[in-house]
Amino acid sequence: MVILQAAGVSFSYTESQDVVSKVDFSVTAGEVVCVLGPNGAGKSTLLRILGGLLKPHAGSVELSGKPIARFTAKARAQEVALVPQALFSLPDLSVRDFVGQGRYAYRTLFRPEDEADREAVERALSEADLQTLGARSLDSLSGGQRQRTLVARALAQEPRLVLVDEPTNSLDPRHQIQVFRVIAGLGCAGRAAVIVTHDLNLASQFASRIVLMDAGRIVASGSVHDVLRPDVLRPVYGADLAFGQMRVDGWGEDRPFVLPWQQ
Amino acid sequence: MGESSHRSRSANGRAAALLLVVALLMLLVFRVQVGSAEGYSLSFKSALAAVGSYFGWGEGLGASPQLIASGRFLDGVTAALVGAALGLSGALFQGLFRNDLASPGLIGVTSGAALGAMLGILVIGGMVDGFAGDGLGVMPAALREGPLAVVGLSFIGALGCAFFVTILASRGGKISVPTLLLVGVAINACLGGVLAAAQDVLLREEWHLAQALFSWLFGSLTDSTPDRIAVVAGGLALALIAIPFVAQELDLFAEGEEMAQSLGVATLRTKLIVITAASMAAAAAVAVAGQIAFVGLVVPHVLRLTTGTRHRTLLPLSALGGAVFLLGAETLNVAFLGANALRPGIVLSLVGGPFFLTLLLRRRREVSSW
Repeated sequence: MVILQAAGVSFSYTESQDVVSKVDFSVTAGEVVCVLGPNGAGKSTLLRILGGLLKPHAGSVELSGKPIARFTAKARAQEVALVPQALFSLPDLSVRDFVGQGRYAYRTLFRPEDEADREAVERALSEADLQTLGARSLDSLSGGQRQRTLVARALAQEPRLVLVDEPTNSLDPRHQIQVFRVIAGLGCAGRAAVIVTHDLNLASQFASRIVLMDAGRIVASGSVHDVLRPDVLRPVYGADLAFGQMRVDGWGEDRPFVLPWQQ
Repeated sequence: MGESSHRSRSANGRAAALLLVVALLMLLVFRVQVGSAEGYSLSFKSALAAVGSYFGWGEGLGASPQLIASGRFLDGVTAALVGAALGLSGALFQGLFRNDLASPGLIGVTSGAALGAMLGILVIGGMVDGFAGDGLGVMPAALREGPLAVVGLSFIGALGCAFFVTILASRGGKISVPTLLLVGVAINACLGGVLAAAQDVLLREEWHLAQALFSWLFGSLTDSTPDRIAVVAGGLALALIAIPFVAQELDLFAEGEEMAQSLGVATLRTKLIVITAASMAAAAAVAVAGQIAFVGLVVPHVLRLTTGTRHRTLLPLSALGGAVFLLGAETLNVAFLGANALRPGIVLSLVGGPFFLTLLLRRRREVSSW
C-alpha cells in the first residue's frame, strides 16, 4: 500500500539552480528506504518536501492519496513524523516530557492529555528501548540515547511514515547499530521509514530499498545489491571506494559493504 | 538528578505563584500606606481599611484621607497591571524569538508608542495654542481630553508599528522571525531619529511641548484614572486569554519553527497570536505609563532560571512577577523618596541596567567558549 507519492518534484532556494529537480519518489508500507548521496545532493531538502515542511515549486506530493498541502498541521503530524539530526530543546525537560511532545498533534484546547496519550508515550519509549530512562533529563543522556529519544518522540506521533535525517552523525559504532536497529523496526506494523544517511554500510544492512541522489536528481533506486555497486557508486562518489561482501546476522545472505579507500 | 529536579521545578512554579500573589496583595496595601506629594503616610491597618472601603467593605477613613488613599490604590493597581502586561509581553516575545534577551521594544512597540504620544502632544499642543483666543471653549475640552488622547494615540502608534514591522518581515504568507528582528532594528532607528528631531525642534521652539514629551517618555504611574486602568487591563486581558493557545506551541518553537511545524503546530497562526497578544499588552502598558524598560526582560529571565522554561507556567508567572516587580519598585521609590520620587522609567533603568549587565557578563563566559 502506497503511503506517500511524490511526482516531478522540484525545489530551489535561489532562482538559479534547483536543489531538488524533477524527483519521483514513493514509499510503500513496510519499506525502510535509505536515501544516499554526496553532500549537497538535495537529500535533506527532499526529506522536508516529503514531510510537507517545504512546498515544492513544481510537482505534487500526495499523502494517503490526498495532496499533502491540504492537510492541517495536526492532521499531517498524525501521518508523518520527522526525526531531526540533533536534539535541541528546552533544557529542563525529562525524556518522557520530550517524547510526550509527539502527542501535540492529538491534543486540543479542551482535551489536554489523556490515557491514550500516556500509553502512546510508554509504547514509544519501549520501542526505542528507553523504558528505564523516562524520568532522566535530556542533558544527562549519551549521544545514542539522545538519538533514540528523538526517534521515540516521532513514534509517539503514531505516524505511518517516519522521516529520519542523518541519525548516526557523531555516534560511535555501537550506538550507530543500536539507533539503526530501532529505526529499521519502523518498517513494520503498516509503517514505513525514509532515512537520509551518509553511511553506506548501515544502509546496506538495514535498508529494504536504497535511493541514490546526485545534484538534485535520483540517479539509482533499488535493492542494496542494485545500488551498492562500483559502476553505480563511482560516478557519484568518485573512484576512491573499495567493495566487498559480508554475511549479515539473521539475513541468511551476503550484503555488500563499501569503504572509502584510495585507489 | 532527572526526576527530582523536574518535580522540584513544578513545585517551584506553584510555590512561586503563591508567593507572588501574596507579595502582590501586600504590596498593594504598602503602596496605599506611602505617598508622594500628599506627604503623610498611613498605618498598615488604616491602609487596609481604606482599600476595603474602596470596595465597599467597612467604614474606611474620613473623606479626605480616603480620597488620598483611593488615589494611591489606583496608582498601585496601575503599576501592577502595567508590570504584568510588560512581563507577559516580554515572555511571549522571548518565546517567539527563542532569545532570552528579546523584548517588546525589538519590534517597535516602544518607539511606535513614543511616536503616537508625540503626535498626540503636538496636535493637542497645537489645538491649545490655536484655539486659545477664540473663546469657543475648545481649549478646556482639549485639556480635559488631552491625557487620554495621548494614551489612545500612543496605543495606536505602538500597535501600528508592531504590525508594520510584522508585515515588512512577511513574504508569501510567511513571517520570518530573523527578518522581524532586523526590520525592527531598522524601524526603531528611523523612529528614534524622528523622535529626536522633534525633541530638538521643540526644545528650541515650543518649550512646554518638549516638557510634556519628556514627561511622557520617562513614564508615570501617578494620577491614575479608571479610564487609564481600563486601557492597561484591556491589553493585559487580551494577552492573558492568548496563553492557552500558545503555551505548548512556544515550547515546541524552542526547537525551531520547522520542528514545531513537523510536530503539528500551525506556526503562522501561533506567530500571529503571539505578536498580537504581546503587542497589545505592551502597547497598552507603554501608552499609559510611558517607556518603562527592563520589566519584560528581567522578570521572565529570572523566572526561567527558578521555575523552569515551560511556557504553561512561565507565561502566567511572568505576568504575576512583572506586577510584583514594578509595583515593588514603585512602592520603594515612593516610600524612600516621597515627594521627590523619581519617574518609574528612571527607577527601572537604574535598577534594570546593572541587572542586565550582570546577565551579559554571565553570558559572556558561555559566548567566549564558542
